[in-house]
Amino acid sequence: MAGGMDLGGGGGKGKKPLDTTINLVPFIDLMAVTIVFLIMTAVWTQLGRLQVSQSGQNASEEQQQDPNQLQPVTLLITEKELKLSVGGAQLEPIPIVHDDKGKMDVQKLTDKLKELKTQQPEQNAITVSTEDNVKYEDLVRVIDTCIGGQFPSVSVSPAST
Amino acid sequence: MAIITPGKRFGKRLMHSKIFGHHAMLGKKSVFSDLNVTPLVDMFVILVLFLIANFSATGEILSMSKDIQLPEAANTDELQLAPVVQVSQESVIVSGTMIGRVDDLTREDYLNIPALEEKLREMKKQFEDLHNAANDSGAFKGDVNIQADRQVQFRIIKRVMFSCASAGYGNIAFATMAAGSGEGGEKKKDETASRD
Repeated sequence: MAGGMDLGGGGGKGKKPLDTTINLVPFIDLMAVTIVFLIMTAVWTQLGRLQVSQSGQNASEEQQQDPNQLQPVTLLITEKELKLSVGGAQLEPIPIVHDDKGKMDVQKLTDKLKELKTQQPEQNAITVSTEDNVKYEDLVRVIDTCIGGQFPSVSVSPAST
Repeated sequence: MAIITPGKRFGKRLMHSKIFGHHAMLGKKSVFSDLNVTPLVDMFVILVLFLIANFSATGEILSMSKDIQLPEAANTDELQLAPVVQVSQESVIVSGTMIGRVDDLTREDYLNIPALEEKLREMKKQFEDLHNAANDSGAFKGDVNIQADRQVQFRIIKRVMFSCASAGYGNIAFATMAAGSGEGGEKKKDETASRD
């Protein structure tokens, strides 16, 4: 029979069957215990982190090394708009628009950051100045957009200072 | 009730028939029948492989609370094991110790939160003492995770950040929920590739 194991019983009087089956019960027990353990210890929520630094720390090291070429990029977040400035020159403010779910629309900011990145490909640092009334969700969304726009070194500072 | 072997079953009258009953009685099969467990074992193996692939040895770094709804972000790194400062809309908590109420902190004009700074300094000292005893000086990197509710205002976050930095925890990370994937995930892959 297919899958059977030849036990080599020979052709004696007490003929034994050629087929034998492996006892799978202990294996199933082991599997059941392992599955219960893995399900109990599983982490179902996918969490991540956005690394930031406070303004004045290591974020601006790179731009300090070569101040002639790289112009510092600053993004001011107010309650109503985003103000990008490069090397002191302020660009046109971007109004903050939230969708039905309260999520900030960052398409314009993404485009602006892309444009800045093409102008200064070596620039990796951006300073995000934030007003006190800005919600944490909006701040995180902006930082996320900055990192996605190839500005991985984000430093956060209060707008008043 | 008796167990009947699957197969042809004749009626009572035919069972006693010389023609039909004879054949029916000749092929007597064993009453015992093994349950086929192969599909069960296959399913278990696939399930175990799936769970092991998703297994996280570090466990839960953050304790999720219903008071804190984390914001979503797409371009995130993996969360590191570090002290966690929880900021909900009501209170600020570090390692299970309540530092202060958000309403009170909003009214104050200080740049830092003294109680938080003190607590973090204490935690840093404990960490350093522990590692110095094990001749592992320099292990302190100053990592701290801020787990804040999405509706909290920056006026609280900035005080928390300033307190962390003052206490020596300069590597601040904002804990976020990983957003759906799609564009963000692709961007992250591209970024990682360009770094390599």
